[in-house]
Amino acid sequence: MSIDEPSLARLMAASQRGDRAAYRTLLGDSRKWLTRYFARRIAPHHIDDLVQETLVSMHRKLATWDSGRAFLPWLAAIARYRWIDMLRRQRDEAELGDNDAAVSAEDEAVHAKLSIDHLLTLLPPGQAQAITLVKIEGASIAEASQISGQSESLVKVNIHRGLKKLAELIESE
Amino acid sequence: MTMKDASIDDLIDGLADDLTPVRPRRVMGGSLWVAAGWLGAGAVLVWLFGMRPDLAGGVMPPLSMLAFWLVAATGVAAAWSALRMGLPGVGRDYGGWRWAVGALLALPLAALFVFFGDAHAHTEAARRGFDVHCLLQGIVSGLGVGAALFLWLRAGAPTSPTRAGWVIGVAAGAAGASIIALLCSSDDLVHITLWHASAVPVSAIAGRLILPRFLRW
Repeated sequence: MSIDEPSLARLMAASQRGDRAAYRTLLGDSRKWLTRYFARRIAPHHIDDLVQETLVSMHRKLATWDSGRAFLPWLAAIARYRWIDMLRRQRDEAELGDNDAAVSAEDEAVHAKLSIDHLLTLLPPGQAQAITLVKIEGASIAEASQISGQSESLVKVNIHRGLKKLAELIESE
Repeated sequence: MTMKDASIDDLIDGLADDLTPVRPRRVMGGSLWVAAGWLGAGAVLVWLFGMRPDLAGGVMPPLSMLAFWLVAATGVAAAWSALRMGLPGVGRDYGGWRWAVGALLALPLAALFVFFGDAHAHTEAARRGFDVHCLLQGIVSGLGVGAALFLWLRAGAPTSPTRAGWVIGVAAGAAGASIIALLCSSDDLVHITLWHASAVPVSAIAGRLILPRFLRW
């Protein structure tokens, strides 16, 4: 089924009236759209979690869609909010990891393959390098430290500050 | 089919079974609550403390009237932006309040010129009118608008809780400052800026510090 805006808006209007069949179709179409949306923004093994979280948020906030407006920008706003929320949680996990003797990239489970090249260029080079090495390429903190010449604690600090700034940049879009 | 696919299918089935009709939220509906909060707080304050004597007589001095409309317009713009933040959509513009706040800066700017232009007289005036109670009344009387916007956004879906906290604070402070303009009879620009309009930044900072954690969803 093609996912086109007028059909989605019709399904959403019916869903708001309580039509379960329309809602099931809408959720299925939204799932496909969200999977594509997140594929360009986060590591593959996080996509399904993020799709599920977004569908649940969509369900909770069903009343906030205004039938006078398009559906996809509404869904995209919710998806982006959930994405930022996940970025924040990853940042907090990295922060908690500061107390650990050795924090491997696997433990953090944040191989964040974010397609955010243009955003990375807006960060200071040290932060961009730390995020690229650890979050995107999957290096450990120790490896990133060796490659970049930054101390391990500086790598962690740069990841923390960089992710925080990224979240702010995305929010201010 | 992978386990993840199956779990998303189950989730979709569960959500669909759980569906109940919802009434779409409308900005106009929310704005009625904001208006009620504004007018209600204004009525209570006027009832408690009485209207300024010149206004009760039907006339308000030009400077006080100008300041009143300036803060009132800021309150309306900020409240409207906050209401719109409850209904998310990529590409929607929530920034109208910034222009009103920019215009409101005319008050402190003009007050600075007045103050340094006639420093002695206004230092005296500021000392005479050390009216923290005006500021406190302003902050308290903005709570009606603040509460209405907070409840609206808690039930809505603000995608930037931090910004929403700021804007609720601006709206509440400006609403409170507009109410105080109806009570306090001072027509001194320095007094109006210091003890009336300051409710806007004070409430904005309070909104930023207190509200975002309750607006996350």
